Amino acid sequence: MEEQVDLVGKAFVDHFYHLFDNDRPALSSLYQPTSMLTFEGQKIQGVDDITAKLNQLPFDQCRHEISTIDSQPCSFTGGIVVFVSGSLQLPGEEHHLRFSQMFHLIPMLQGSFFVQNDIFRLNYG
Amino acid sequence: MDPDAVAKAFVEHYYTTFDANRAGLANLYQEGSMLTFEGQKIQGSQNIVAKLTSLPFQQCQHNITTVDCQPSGAGGMLVFVSGTLQLAGEQHALKFSQMFHLMPTAQGSFYVLNDIFRLNYA
Repeated sequence: MEEQVDLVGKAFVDHFYHLFDNDRPALSSLYQPTSMLTFEGQKIQGVDDITAKLNQLPFDQCRHEISTIDSQPCSFTGGIVVFVSGSLQLPGEEHHLRFSQMFHLIPMLQGSFFVQNDIFRLNYG
Repeated sequence: MDPDAVAKAFVEHYYTTFDANRAGLANLYQEGSMLTFEGQKIQGSQNIVAKLTSLPFQQCQHNITTVDCQPSGAGGMLVFVSGTLQLAGEQHALKFSQMFHLMPTAQGSFYVLNDIFRLNYA
């Protein structure tokens, strides 16, 4: 039987990558002015700059395939940390890129979550 | 102190302890700490250290490739690490990613509240 935090983590991950792969601008609904993204070592703060960064990545289409999702509750922040690994397929590229990503999700009043912290790294080699 | 420097110092201390004296990791976890190790969930310092000291290898060496950190709010720090793990006698190093959520202690250091470890398979 899956715990609540695992269900929330999986639901969030499905939603996040579905938006990323199908409607990247809509990711702005998941970040706030306090959100932080570190993308391959580059630090970006706030929903506007984060959305701009993601929309400017040098590919129009992509598909994420998720291999693992691990979630844990954070007692002090009231949030959830979610650790994802998977692969990213770009059109025209023969080989998938492998990646790991972590999210720190904070609950909102409406029962949904926003991304307070986001760190993305490709896994080379 | 600069948060990146704090994160790097923690990561160095954590893996040095892991590689030299695994039982010494006990004072980096507390009762409420959680570890998810390759999908297995473990809670509390005692159980976590029992898991780590019972891993099926005596010696290992972590080599860290990347360390990213961000403040989590509530005084905490999220640290995201990637690197390789060389086991004694094994020809090829294993690649891994790990995330820590660190919380400050009264004494001015940090303990691990959340810890998630995954090997990165090719």
